[in-house]
Amino acid sequence: MYKHSIFRRLAVALAAFHILMVVQVPMANAAMIGTAEVLQQQQQQVDRQQLMSMLDDQGVQEKLQSMGVERSQVEQRINSLTGAELAQFNQQLQDAPAGSGVVGIIVLFLVIFIITDLLCATNIFSFVKCINR
Amino acid sequence: MLPPETSRLPERVELTSVPFFPQTAYQCGPAALATMLNQRGVVTSPGLLKDRVFIPEREGSLQVEMVATARAHDMLVYPLPPRLEALLAEVAAGNPVLVLQNLAFDWYPRWHFAVVVGYDQRERTLILRSGTTRRWQSDFTSFDSTWARGGRWAVLTLPADKLPAQPELRPWLKAASDLEETGHIEAAQRAYRTATLHWPEESLGWFALANSHYARGDTREAETALRKSLAQEPDFAVGWFNLSQVLGERGCQQSAKQALVCAQRLAPDEKRFAVSAGQALVASGQCALPPACPLAN
Repeated sequence: MYKHSIFRRLAVALAAFHILMVVQVPMANAAMIGTAEVLQQQQQQVDRQQLMSMLDDQGVQEKLQSMGVERSQVEQRINSLTGAELAQFNQQLQDAPAGSGVVGIIVLFLVIFIITDLLCATNIFSFVKCINR
Repeated sequence: MLPPETSRLPERVELTSVPFFPQTAYQCGPAALATMLNQRGVVTSPGLLKDRVFIPEREGSLQVEMVATARAHDMLVYPLPPRLEALLAEVAAGNPVLVLQNLAFDWYPRWHFAVVVGYDQRERTLILRSGTTRRWQSDFTSFDSTWARGGRWAVLTLPADKLPAQPELRPWLKAASDLEETGHIEAAQRAYRTATLHWPEESLGWFALANSHYARGDTREAETALRKSLAQEPDFAVGWFNLSQVLGERGCQQSAKQALVCAQRLAPDEKRFAVSAGQALVASGQCALPPACPLAN
């Protein structure tokens, strides 16, 4: 009796599953692009623009110049950052102590990334020649 | 520490009606979450939530589980920007804030969840439902340092039709989309509708609403929302593409083809657009032409 009821439940579950599948079929025809994907793409654009806009700062430009880094190189590099890298960079910027000013923060991170690149610890800036290679 | 615009907020606020569940043992997670959910009218208790959010081996709860459990109750979990003034603004608007603190050190963390329910700008203190204390008072500075060690994590749990005090489109839509992806289709759709009411000029809100209509099998409503989305942003290629799929499914082959061509023109490199329009399920007698493509021949 007990077994019987298990099979019955199984049959009900299977039937329900089949009905669901049939209902789902019309959806499979179209290839709609999902909301989550579009949101993620747009967020990356926002992150990128945010980072780019920091290069407009006079102080940042002077600092980069004094370090011998061309703005176009940095721009190129920012454009080739992946979404995850961008998010990480922006997260670090957000976590940075307030009040130290945008110049300090961006240059600090640029310097950290460049130095870690030099040491081959990271590979953020393609224009940095890794000293071990 | 606080920017000048904070002075526009009331000097002191306390949400006295927010319930309190004192924690037992290490269970600040279930207690804080029960506080948040009950305030929104969800009847639950730390005991009921414990199994979902408390991990006995770790003697604590994880943020992801807290968030997932709030979603399981159809609540939208809205992350706040990591600034104290954002917390105050929400509390002033009647929204208690769930925060994560690290009460010890970076190298020896002691994580703690609490709920901010009040503040006093003159005294520079916050009032929290915390641990076993109903009105835990903490000054701004010491709260901020414990909060900073917790990554300044702060969220609201909101019903899908209630925007935060300082709403932003993308975080709202992201929170709604997370709700949708975890199977809370109806609540997510309400949240998208809330977005289109508050930001009718944003194409993305209409787009998200259209997708959720489509997911529920309502191609007519999906088409209407996509048209509104494209009216706000005519060069939104993905919107054109989805419109082509919906039109195709509704049996409007001619219009579908036009919309698809427009998507392809706007984003020539997108490989997924190199398909045919959606298959018709039923021939429809009511087909409207798509809007004018911004990139005509």
